Amino acid sequence: MINAFRAELIKMRSMPGVWVTFALAFPLAVLICVAVLAGAGGFPGHTFYFVQTLRQRRMLLGAGYFAIEILAPIMGVLCVTGEYRHKTITTTLVLTPVRTRVLGAKVAVVALWSILIALLTLVAVATVGLPWNAALGGVTSTVTDQVGAVVPGLLASAVLLGLFGLGFGTLVKNQVAAILIVIGGTLILESILIALARAIFHYDLNWLPNAAGAALAGDIARGFGGGGGGGRTFHLLTWWQGGLVMLLWGLVPLTIGYFTTFRRDVT
Amino acid sequence: MTAGAATRGLPVEFSGLSKNFGTVVAVDNLSFTVQPGRVTGFLGPNGSGKTTTLRMLLDLVHPSAGTATIGGRRYHDFENPSKIVGAVLEATSFHPARRARTHLRMAARAGGHDDKRADEVLELVGLTADARRKVGGFSMGMRQRLELATALIGDPDVLILDEPSNGLDPQGIAWLRDFMRFFAGEGRTVLVSSHLLSEMAQTIDDAVIVSFGQLKAQGTLEEITSGVTGLVMRARSPEADRLCAVLTEAHVAFRRLGHDEVAMDAVRPEQIGPLLAANQIVLYELTQEGADLESVFLSLTAGLGFGQLAPRP
Repeated sequence: MINAFRAELIKMRSMPGVWVTFALAFPLAVLICVAVLAGAGGFPGHTFYFVQTLRQRRMLLGAGYFAIEILAPIMGVLCVTGEYRHKTITTTLVLTPVRTRVLGAKVAVVALWSILIALLTLVAVATVGLPWNAALGGVTSTVTDQVGAVVPGLLASAVLLGLFGLGFGTLVKNQVAAILIVIGGTLILESILIALARAIFHYDLNWLPNAAGAALAGDIARGFGGGGGGGRTFHLLTWWQGGLVMLLWGLVPLTIGYFTTFRRDVT
Repeated sequence: MTAGAATRGLPVEFSGLSKNFGTVVAVDNLSFTVQPGRVTGFLGPNGSGKTTTLRMLLDLVHPSAGTATIGGRRYHDFENPSKIVGAVLEATSFHPARRARTHLRMAARAGGHDDKRADEVLELVGLTADARRKVGGFSMGMRQRLELATALIGDPDVLILDEPSNGLDPQGIAWLRDFMRFFAGEGRTVLVSSHLLSEMAQTIDDAVIVSFGQLKAQGTLEEITSGVTGLVMRARSPEADRLCAVLTEAHVAFRRLGHDEVAMDAVRPEQIGPLLAANQIVLYELTQEGADLESVFLSLTAGLGFGQLAPRP
C-alpha cells in the first residue's frame, strides 16, 4: 500500500491538471476575501470594511472553501480518469495488480492533495485577507481566534470533496463527463433542486453534496449558513451529519465504480 | 517472494484458459507451458487471442475459465510483481506530460525500488539522453524502449512482451533480439508475442502458435518447422530423369522443380545419399531444407496442413 501511495504521489505531481487546481486555489481564495470584505460593511455603506460579526470573521478565515468545493472534486476526478484517458491504467495495474490497493492509494493521495489545496487557500487568507482586513481597521486576533472553529471543518471538507470527485471519476471514467457531473451537478443542478424542493414541497434538500459539505464546513460555507431565500431559514444538517453524508457521497460512487468499472477487464 | 538466483527462470503455465467477450470466444481452452532459460515466441494472426492471453496472465483480463500462473502462482498473488515479472504490453500507456525519468521513478516506487533504478534502466534501453524529455514528444520506437525500461525496473525473472518490435528501427530490433537472448541466457523466462515471423525465427527457441484462440502447435522451433511438412532434400543433377526413376523405384516422394532440379519430401541425407551413390548419379548440388516458420505459420493458421502436429497440453 505504501509503494502504491508513493507511486500515486509522483503521478499527481507530474499531472499538469493538478497544478492548475493549485494555481487557481490562491486567486479564488483571494477573490472570496475581497467579497467578504466588500460585504462586511453592509449595504448601502462602505465599499470595503473590516469583518465584524462572528460569521464574517469565520467567512474571512475560511474564504478558501469556495475554491476547495470546486477544485478538490476536480482533482479527485483527474486522479482516476487520467488513468483511462491516457491508458496508464495498464501500467498501474501491472505494477500493482491488487485493485483495491490502487484505489486505496488514490483515496489517500487525493486526501493529501486536497488538504494541500486547503492549506494554500489559508495561505491566501493569511497573506492577503488578514493584512487587508487589518489595513481596514480590523483586529487580526479576532479572526485568528476562530482557527479552531474553522480550519478543522475546512480541512475535513477538502478531504471529503476530493473523495467525492474520486468516487464519481471511478464511476464515470470519462474525464469531461465526470467533471461536469461533480461541478455542474453540485453548483448548478443542486441549487435548482434545492430551490424547487423548497418552493414546491417546503423541504430542505440538505443531504445533497454541496449542502452536506456546507454543514460540515459550518458558517464558512457560501450561501447556506445564514439564511437562504424565501424568508425561511435553510436547515443544514449538523456538522457530523454533514460529514457523514459527504463521506457517503464519496464512498457510494467509489464502491459502485469499483465493481462496475475499476474491477473490469482492461483490454 | 523475492528476486534472486533461487527464483530466476520461473515457468509460465497456461491451463485450460478461456475468455469469452459476450458471444465471441477470444481464447479457447488454451494450455501450454513456457520454460525458463528459453525465448518462447507466441505467434498468431491478428485477433487470434495473443494479447488477451497475455493480459489474463497479468490479471488485467479475468479468464472465463482456466488459470495462468507464473511459478505456480497467479500474478496478483505476488506481493511485489515487478520483481518477478516485467511486461511490455502497449507503447501508448504513458501520460504525455510526464518525463521519461518521472515515469520510471513512478514505476520504481510502485515496486518498492530505489529511484536510481530509473536511471539504470534508462541507460539500459539507450534513453539516458532523453530522460528529461516529456513522453508526449517520443517516437513510437522510443516509447517501446521506455515500455521495456518500465518492464525491467524490478530486474524481473520473467519477461512478457506483446509485439515489442512495433515501431522499432532495424537497429532497435537487433538490440531487442540480443537483449532477449541475453535475458534468457541468464536462465530467465521470455515469452514474446509477435506476427513478425522472420524476426521471430531469428530470436526464439520455442514457439507456440495460436489461431482463433486455440493452440495449433507448440514445440521447439526445429520441431515445429520440421513437424508439419518434414525435411525437404533438394538435388540438382544433369541426370534428373534417371534420378526420378531411381526415386520412384525406391518409393521416395519427389517433385520435379526444373529440368535439372528435384525436391524430395520427408527424407533425410542419411537415406538419400547412399541411394544416389549406389546408383552412381552425378550431383551438382544436394541441400537439406526445413519448412520455414512462415510457411508453417500460414499453414497452421489457415487451418491447413496440421499433419503430424497435434496440440500439446
